[in-house]
Amino acid sequence: MSAAQDTPTPLLEVRGIEKSFPGVRALSGVSFDVRAGEAHALIGENGAGKSTLIKIMSGVFRPDSGSILVEGRETRLATPDDARRAGIATIYQELLLFPELSVAENIFLGHAPRAKGGWIDWGAMRAKAEELLASLDIDDLPADETVGALSVGNRQRVEILRALSHDARVVIMDEPTAALTEADVTRLFDIVRRLKARGVAIIYISHRLDETFAIADRVTVLRDGAYVGTRLTRETNSGELVQMMVGRRIDNMFPKTEAPIGEPVLEARDLVRRPLTKSISITVRAGEIVGLAGLVGSGRSELAQTLFGVWPAESGEIRLMGEAVTIRSPAEARARGIAYVPEDRGSQGLVRPMSVLHNLSLAALTSLTHGGFIDRAAELRLAEQAVGRFGVKMRSLDEVAGRLSGGNQQKIVLGKWLANQPKLLILDEPTRGIDVGAKAEIHRFMGELARAGVAILMISSELPEVLGMSDRVLVMREGRVVAEFDRAAATPQAVGAAMMGDTGAAEKAA
Amino acid sequence: MTAVATSRRASRARVFLRHETILAAMLVVALFGLGLFNDRFLTVDNLLNQGRLMTEIGLIALPMTFVIITGGIDVSVGAIVGLCAIVLGYSWKNLGFPLPLAVVCSLGVGAAAGFANGFIITRIKVPAIITTIATLTLFRGLAEGISQAHSVRGYPDWFYFLGQGDVFGVPTQLLVLLIAIVVFGVALDRTSFGRTLYAIGSNEMAARFSALPVDRVKLAAYTLSGLTSGLSALVLVSRVTTTRSDMGMGYELDAIAAVVLGGTSIFGGSGTIWGTVIGLVMIQLLKNGLALTGVKGDATIMVIGVVLIASVLIASSLQRRRV
Amino acid sequence: MSAIALPGAASARAPFWRRLSSQEMLLAVAIVGLAVIVGLVNPRFLSANNLADLLLGNAYIAVAAIGMSMVIITGNIDISVGALIGVLATLSGSLAVAGAPIAVTWLAPLVLGVAVMGLQGVIVAYVGIPAIVVTLGMLSILRGGLISVTGGKWITDLPDAFHLADIEIFGFIPMPVAIMVVATIVAAVWMRWWPLGRAIYATGGNPEAARLSGVSPHRTLVLVFMLHGFFAGIAALLFATQMRVIQSTTPSGLEFTIITASVVGGVSILGGVGTVVGSTLAAILIAEITSALVFINVSPFWTHAVQGTLILATVIADIERRRRRRAGAVR
Repeated sequence: MSAAQDTPTPLLEVRGIEKSFPGVRALSGVSFDVRAGEAHALIGENGAGKSTLIKIMSGVFRPDSGSILVEGRETRLATPDDARRAGIATIYQELLLFPELSVAENIFLGHAPRAKGGWIDWGAMRAKAEELLASLDIDDLPADETVGALSVGNRQRVEILRALSHDARVVIMDEPTAALTEADVTRLFDIVRRLKARGVAIIYISHRLDETFAIADRVTVLRDGAYVGTRLTRETNSGELVQMMVGRRIDNMFPKTEAPIGEPVLEARDLVRRPLTKSISITVRAGEIVGLAGLVGSGRSELAQTLFGVWPAESGEIRLMGEAVTIRSPAEARARGIAYVPEDRGSQGLVRPMSVLHNLSLAALTSLTHGGFIDRAAELRLAEQAVGRFGVKMRSLDEVAGRLSGGNQQKIVLGKWLANQPKLLILDEPTRGIDVGAKAEIHRFMGELARAGVAILMISSELPEVLGMSDRVLVMREGRVVAEFDRAAATPQAVGAAMMGDTGAAEKAA
Repeated sequence: MTAVATSRRASRARVFLRHETILAAMLVVALFGLGLFNDRFLTVDNLLNQGRLMTEIGLIALPMTFVIITGGIDVSVGAIVGLCAIVLGYSWKNLGFPLPLAVVCSLGVGAAAGFANGFIITRIKVPAIITTIATLTLFRGLAEGISQAHSVRGYPDWFYFLGQGDVFGVPTQLLVLLIAIVVFGVALDRTSFGRTLYAIGSNEMAARFSALPVDRVKLAAYTLSGLTSGLSALVLVSRVTTTRSDMGMGYELDAIAAVVLGGTSIFGGSGTIWGTVIGLVMIQLLKNGLALTGVKGDATIMVIGVVLIASVLIASSLQRRRV
Repeated sequence: MSAIALPGAASARAPFWRRLSSQEMLLAVAIVGLAVIVGLVNPRFLSANNLADLLLGNAYIAVAAIGMSMVIITGNIDISVGALIGVLATLSGSLAVAGAPIAVTWLAPLVLGVAVMGLQGVIVAYVGIPAIVVTLGMLSILRGGLISVTGGKWITDLPDAFHLADIEIFGFIPMPVAIMVVATIVAAVWMRWWPLGRAIYATGGNPEAARLSGVSPHRTLVLVFMLHGFFAGIAALLFATQMRVIQSTTPSGLEFTIITASVVGGVSILGGVGTVVGSTLAAILIAEITSALVFINVSPFWTHAVQGTLILATVIADIERRRRRRAGAVR
């Protein structure tokens, strides 16, 4: 780390943070600091530990070991209140606002200005709110407007103002631009610059490297829960950062075996589904694994859910095995041989309180049912087969699915869908939050399925996985496919650059 | 393969510690207790009569189990009973329908009322609580309006067979209830419809993502609730020989109490018909026991209220300890 | 409708009529409009006597709706209030007949109301049982308890001093109407200008965000239920002291009339929004509709059907409005 400027005491510093959850080591020996007037970006892939680190800095989690220093003094942040009192404010992706209350009230709820006798002074509240708005040069947001009617960009502004109303010295922003339009992003950067000018320290978590270069002074990279390095943004470039994020472990991890590629199973043309799927054309052939890379918010899951009928397409054409079809519900998708393993295992993929057995048969009930009655013997056979094939570790088929480890849970979700013998399998972040051993197993299954002629569309935010497993890599950005690489041309630099929108570097590296 | 099979058998032993079994044991104890306490209790006559009396609530409690398993609730069932009773009387007496047709109308109205509930809940997406509170007021209001507080009497004798007759010594409506119990119980336990109910209550989003027909199943549950309310109205009218617009008042309390007492979680995702039956029997026993010791009918609803709150409190604290 | 704060007009206050929410305006217009229409059909509807009776006889519903509105704003519901009012009215009357000091007969219902509702609030907030279940059980306990204790006996021979509702302020304003107006204003002011009053909206709007802002959703909820019990007590007094004879029964369907008043008054079942001014206006409107039915020769037995339709329409409209707002955020 260069010390071209004198280094004053950081406003917030963490040293040697360790944090583990059952089965997963989220952070190992991470150190990080941020200074007054600085914007410090924290980047890394999904699962790198960024979210855990900021939750520790916000008092939501407590570290297993390590120390937290606020303005040089060691502090315990046992609750979110402690963090707030220490001057740390966090702006999450799910905004914590009151939709029916006004902008001013949202900002000052809990610490409203009072008149004599303890009554709320609405006039003073509005005046102070307008002061805050003016200090960030926002002139088109009335303090009386109801928050529920505001766009996401404006709601975020309200959250930032709320942080400021608490005299926050450190503002942590978690993926702030994920749901914003380009115009909103520009305005957000403007606010960040003003905050910096006031001496506020900003910790900025993002996937988007171009944003990092636009406003951050320093950038720290995490990978797999470990600290990789910190750079001054003006002394580094996206290539170096991508390499730090991704590492060089691609070759040994993913045993890619060749599979014969057949006829197209899925051909989609100009699919549109507002607001996130702008116009997608995509082809997946039998035996092929197509990797779909892109940043959070690029619309990949939405595309998958459109193909699966959760959000039916508004226009465009879908052909399955050459036949034009419309898919208006998951039931129709399943009937046509499409399977979808969702991104969020816990809330979308599994019914956690139900047994392993019942989860495994859940998607195949129609085929197991005769005259309304479930064929229990067939169900049992199906479950035993799935469990044996995927090597699920559990105490019995009656065990509650929610008690299994992440890897085993994912195997159940896979098993549930493979019971239908789908022709197109869409996997959304198939190995997120899973230990290395289970990861390798799942990749092995994917290879087997491809060899058996299944067409696989794999959405993943882990570049090594995308690069290692895919026959072709498509990159999505803001609802469109912006680049396509075949296996040979797909290098971390090229794909990474296309994801970040750096088309110049993408072409250079391809 | 065998390892999996034996581990399944081992888990069957855990059945004995389940809520329903404990409840059934308590039921047997209560039966004996009341029998010792009062010699009029354990007579065949009395027990059969209790069976007759509990049918009306029982019929409603069965689909109420379905509804609560999906995480919803239906407090309009009592009002639907009143409405169906009035429709029966009105269409027969005022519109001159032949009684069988009036019966069909009555059931049809019940199913339609349930369907309306389900439609508002699944398509318009109004929360179940407020929907059924609103429809409760509407249906009761329709019953009052249509009947203008007149009661209808003088049904033909054959109609009373349902509510007052016997088949081989067993009260007719009890037979109907027993058949319904078997049908509903089997449906919940062994059909994909039943499995879907559990999935919806445990995790509705995951159920949708598993391509299950969530909205259709919920709609069916509420429609069934309305239909059995109509059937319950028929039994009631047949038993008391008149039709009044305040019929069915308080039925929702008893039905929900039976379901919750029987082990169904108010938050959805678990519960069985067998549990509801035990809960139903226990509540009827409670009423009977209280009546036999001279407590007046109205006070028993107070006890049912206590039972409802107590059983939910106990269930909730037990759940917390397990997690 | 919100007042647009133009830059430079920082402390300009929007004119009074624009600060009322659109729902309240709608209700006020409906009240006047309905009176005009029915008055054209049957002029006796507009007689001073009739209008006075209408307000006097139904003021207690508006008062009870104040507490109910608070409960619904926090995202909960209560169906036991009708039975509670019955119990409290009987308590008050019994105490009066037994010779207790008048002050006691008026205070006892308030205390008991706060206690009973407070207990329910504790169960809902701290044990986490859904309010619908707790209040359903309590409804039966109250109803059954009342009948078993009193045997359904009517209370007669009430002392003259008992009749609080007969008192007239300044010689012409009946006490119930005065209390309704005062209670509404006090509650509205408290919920707008006192932090604890705002906490009700915060708890209902986003409990998690409320907690992080220093508001305790649990404590707020218990307080709201206790206030609800207090207003139920006042309502019971207004109800009981109007009558010469108190029937020891719980008025049927009262809780649903009160809920209808709150919901039609703009309180959303999804929580976080609504005003007591709205619920009072809605209570007046509902009373007006009930009376109007009689004057246009529609049988009063259709009252509940009309109420049910009103509440259903309001709730559906509210859900649709929210859906549309979420789909197309304006700014």
